[in-house]
Amino acid sequence: MSHSIDYTANPPMGPSVIPDAPALPTNNPISLPRKSRWPARLDLLQSLSGLLLALFLIAHMAFVSTILISQAAFYNVARFFEGAWLLGRPYPMLVSLVASAILALLMLHAWLAMRKFPAGFRQYRAFIAHKNRLHHGDTSLWWLQLWTGFLLFFLASIHLYDMLSQPELIGPYASADRVWSGGMWPLYLLLLFSVELHGGIGLYRLLVKWGLFGDKTRARLHLARHAFSAFFITLGLLTLLAYIDLGRSHAAQAGERYIPKAAAQTATH
Amino acid sequence: MQIIHSDVLIIGGGLAGLRAGLAARKRGQEVIILSLVPPKRSHSAAAQGGMQASLGNSARGRGDNEDVHFEDTVRGSDWGNDQLVARMFAHTAPKAVRELAAWGVPWNRVQAGDHTAIIDGQPVTINEATAAHGLITARDFGGTKKWRTCYVSDGTGHAMLYAVSDQSIAAGIPVHERMEAVSLIHDGTRCHGAIVRNLMTGKLIAYVARATCIATGGFGRIYQSTTNAVINEGIGAAIALDTGVVPLANMEAVQFHPTAIFPAGILVTEGCRGDGGLLRDVDGHRFMPDYEPEKKELASRDVVSRRMEAHIKSGKGVRNRFGEHLWLDITLLGEQHINGKLREVKEICQHFLGIDPAHQWIPVRPAQHYSMGGIRTRPDGAAYGLDGLFSCGEAACWDLHGFNRLGGNSVAETVVSGMIVGEAMAEFCNSSAGELNVSTALIRDCWHRAADEFTTIAQSSGPENASHLMHEMQQTMSQKVGIVRHGPVLQSAVDTLKSLILRSRKIGLRRSQPGANPELVLAWRIRKMLKLALCVAEGALQRTESRGAHFREDYPQRNDAEWLKRTLAYWPDPQQTQPTLSYETLDVLTMELPPGWRGYGARDAIEHPDTGRRQAEVDVLRQQFASADRSTRQAALLDFSQQLPCHLRGDNERLGDAT
Amino acid sequence: MIPLFRHHTKASSQPRRLTLKILRYNPAELNAAPSFQAFEIDEADGMTLFIALNEIRATQDPSLQFDFVCRAGICGSCAMLVDGRPALACRTLTRDLSAQITLAPLPFFELIGDLSVNTGKWMRGTSERLQTWIHAVEPVSADILETPMAPELAEAIYELDRCIECGCCIAACGTAQMRPDFVGAVGLNKIARFRLDPRDQRSDDDFYELIGDDSGVFGCMSLLGCHDVCPKQLSLQTQIAFLRRKMARLGLN
Repeated sequence: MSHSIDYTANPPMGPSVIPDAPALPTNNPISLPRKSRWPARLDLLQSLSGLLLALFLIAHMAFVSTILISQAAFYNVARFFEGAWLLGRPYPMLVSLVASAILALLMLHAWLAMRKFPAGFRQYRAFIAHKNRLHHGDTSLWWLQLWTGFLLFFLASIHLYDMLSQPELIGPYASADRVWSGGMWPLYLLLLFSVELHGGIGLYRLLVKWGLFGDKTRARLHLARHAFSAFFITLGLLTLLAYIDLGRSHAAQAGERYIPKAAAQTATH
Repeated sequence: MQIIHSDVLIIGGGLAGLRAGLAARKRGQEVIILSLVPPKRSHSAAAQGGMQASLGNSARGRGDNEDVHFEDTVRGSDWGNDQLVARMFAHTAPKAVRELAAWGVPWNRVQAGDHTAIIDGQPVTINEATAAHGLITARDFGGTKKWRTCYVSDGTGHAMLYAVSDQSIAAGIPVHERMEAVSLIHDGTRCHGAIVRNLMTGKLIAYVARATCIATGGFGRIYQSTTNAVINEGIGAAIALDTGVVPLANMEAVQFHPTAIFPAGILVTEGCRGDGGLLRDVDGHRFMPDYEPEKKELASRDVVSRRMEAHIKSGKGVRNRFGEHLWLDITLLGEQHINGKLREVKEICQHFLGIDPAHQWIPVRPAQHYSMGGIRTRPDGAAYGLDGLFSCGEAACWDLHGFNRLGGNSVAETVVSGMIVGEAMAEFCNSSAGELNVSTALIRDCWHRAADEFTTIAQSSGPENASHLMHEMQQTMSQKVGIVRHGPVLQSAVDTLKSLILRSRKIGLRRSQPGANPELVLAWRIRKMLKLALCVAEGALQRTESRGAHFREDYPQRNDAEWLKRTLAYWPDPQQTQPTLSYETLDVLTMELPPGWRGYGARDAIEHPDTGRRQAEVDVLRQQFASADRSTRQAALLDFSQQLPCHLRGDNERLGDAT
Repeated sequence: MIPLFRHHTKASSQPRRLTLKILRYNPAELNAAPSFQAFEIDEADGMTLFIALNEIRATQDPSLQFDFVCRAGICGSCAMLVDGRPALACRTLTRDLSAQITLAPLPFFELIGDLSVNTGKWMRGTSERLQTWIHAVEPVSADILETPMAPELAEAIYELDRCIECGCCIAACGTAQMRPDFVGAVGLNKIARFRLDPRDQRSDDDFYELIGDDSGVFGCMSLLGCHDVCPKQLSLQTQIAFLRRKMARLGLN
């Protein structure tokens, strides 16, 4: 053997120690400044703002649909939110405040979500190509969510500004007049579909994103999402129809405020 | 001409190559690894069932140690292996498993208390010791006295490969992917690296290194029916053979795995039988006990494969439109076990057969699986014939496996030999012999020779088609140099292969294209593969005995008197159409375990004249050292520890050792 | 009595004629433009795309480039778009597809030629970036008994260790298509794997350094393409959500 290995030259026998992996010279977590915690917070905020908006949406639908019960019911709900039950008389300011808060929340949510939008045409085209190739439900849903979100940025803002600037004009007649005589119904129609689809998908994605259920429940979550959107769109359509109907019959007296029967009786006395 | 320098050049990014690279890197050498594919895609990933190491943690492994592992390995090899190497291996394997555990391999662990296992078709309750809870457990494999095969479900190779590959990434070892070494740079006595072809661009690059290691795995693709990956074409061994001075040893020792799914040839692990699976024939009859009453399904692979083929020949095969096969029945293991411990098997059955192995039997038939033969090396991994050339893993004939490898010993060999050979390369680089004295003229010569080889093929308009030749070679090998061999059939195989070699010199390409050009690659490789095929066929033809996986119908006995020797195949002249064979004797007088009966299979060996004498010596020594501790007694019989790097010499601790 | 085979429908007298539309592109050729080329072959019993593509290369076009290694669904080499969806070609049976099959290379990864893409290079980069190896502080001796580990934990780690780095999850990821620096499910799953492993002594703070931003876990938009195409059925949805919770928690400190 011309080059047999001579191990006797080695240091005395020690236990066989497993060579530990040297860390790479770069990218060593210890040597770098600590990474900002803000991405984590922003991610939480995006989900949280979305959740709050969705909860508000549910509540909001519940309130406005009281018109389906009776005009009086809706009137009372509106007054309730103006704080009449607590402060003795209605303060429409309170509605303005709530609307401002929701608008702020909406803007925050939009700003956070926009980070995920395609930035630039290359990304836009890459995603479209990907979506069209993959034929994958959740991927396509995101595209829908993106566009409805984009629409909501305008539609919801208009609606919220309306409420913010004219908080006192919430009531059976005032609202119905806005829908019909004010010509807002096409906006509300579009808003309804956008918001319910967006909200449904958003809530679904929230559950999936944070893993609140196992990964075996996706089919059921989708079912729930469909049910959510379908229920609220139906409810919304019926409500909108009710306002349109009321608005049309009230068109001649547009501008006149609703006065509940009890109050009207008191007034005639 | 681009030249890339390093201390150590490793050809092959599988477990053996990666581990050897790590060992050398740890000793301060600059290492470059070349790989045909990304290293985590190497065929090591397909090792399913496990890795043998005598930890002895599980109840059925209790009492296991290096001695038992050593003896099992020697018996498995049919006394064809190098017992010194087997000792080095059995001693280092436990360290390798523990090292891998520290590197993150999620070995399955012992669960204390009772559990039920299927043994010999019957449920048996096994009680695991509380002290062993959480230690690495083991399953049963063929040809072993103890349950010794450490495993990670049935993705052992995958888990090991990822852990070792990640370690090499951590160590910053560059892996040059999609690179194929096409010839060695050498002057007839010293290897200086390799000429390498970039498989993406077709460019040739010279890699110059002080030590070069071939770890390219096996050459199963010379067979039609094989469990091997499509990259296992043996090119690493072929370029060593091309030097004319490096021999390939025991090429006729080819293992056939009993349970390849039929007809795709995809492996289902030996763990299926280890865990209690049974082999059944056309009548649903469990036939192995008829042939092997002791080990039954768990005799060594050569024996089981041979029995299966014989059983099919006796008319008990199941016929389908692709041919005949037998059944592997693991339904008795139950769904839970299959979903947990045999999930790759389950996936493979689902995807390739459309069956659920928890409820249906798996069609299997033996297929080529492993090459015991390869580049002949010394125990430290240095190749015969060229200084500075090393080899490890399946590509090498380190000679751990002799004529039959035990299941679980190859994936163990990859890491163990990597640990030892990587260390040896580092030593070599640090020694005066490791100095690099290479002239650029030599590099240029080698580069041009390689380039000419490709240009000649690319410009040839010969009538032959490389894929046809490949197909003919594979068919010839599977039909004529398979599990059961016969002189005249082997002769006709050799004749066919020789004519294919001549025809391969007249291959013409149908397309010329810049870049990778897979057609050119195939045309170039088939010429190398035919040489390997001839080494196998010619070696098989000349070896007129039956040993391990090499079974000659016309010479059914193991003949220690004449054939206790290793075939060495050389290819000194590129114009030759068959290898030049010579033989290297195995010295019975140095064996710790002199030849005898394996404990399964035939019992009719022709004894070597020295066997009795050595046995008497061994008996005397054993008596003399009866009161000495195990390792002293062992060292008196065969002293191996000097062959190991110092840090691998320590004793292996086991549960229940007095510490 | 024998719980045998599936009942195969009688082999119809005429095998299907398959048309494989394959996206061809050889970057080594000057002025080459990607284009689809159609190949026709007869379907055979149990034919996989591995068999089909090799047949095309052997009999029709020897220049066709593609990657196969293990051809058993274990190594992850052969991921490609099969009718637009990432899949392992070796274990895709043609009988599960229509007679018109479209094959294209995985998007996102560097194209080598035709159906061959350089996933290996990207995966190595990801490993380096995420430091996907056990970070242990104390050296361990290999001579002594290994540190015990709960059997269930070992199994849970293997569950995550089964990733074969095929790249399907990246090719199916909407985020990655838009933002090439996104670590993707393969990267996040690896972090989950090492986080679970007690032998790795990194803390959540350390992991946050690796994935605590919009190219890491917070970049994931939960489109779940990864989860739905993963050939190893890894629970990527659960793992990413889990990591998101762990990493987000650090934002509250």
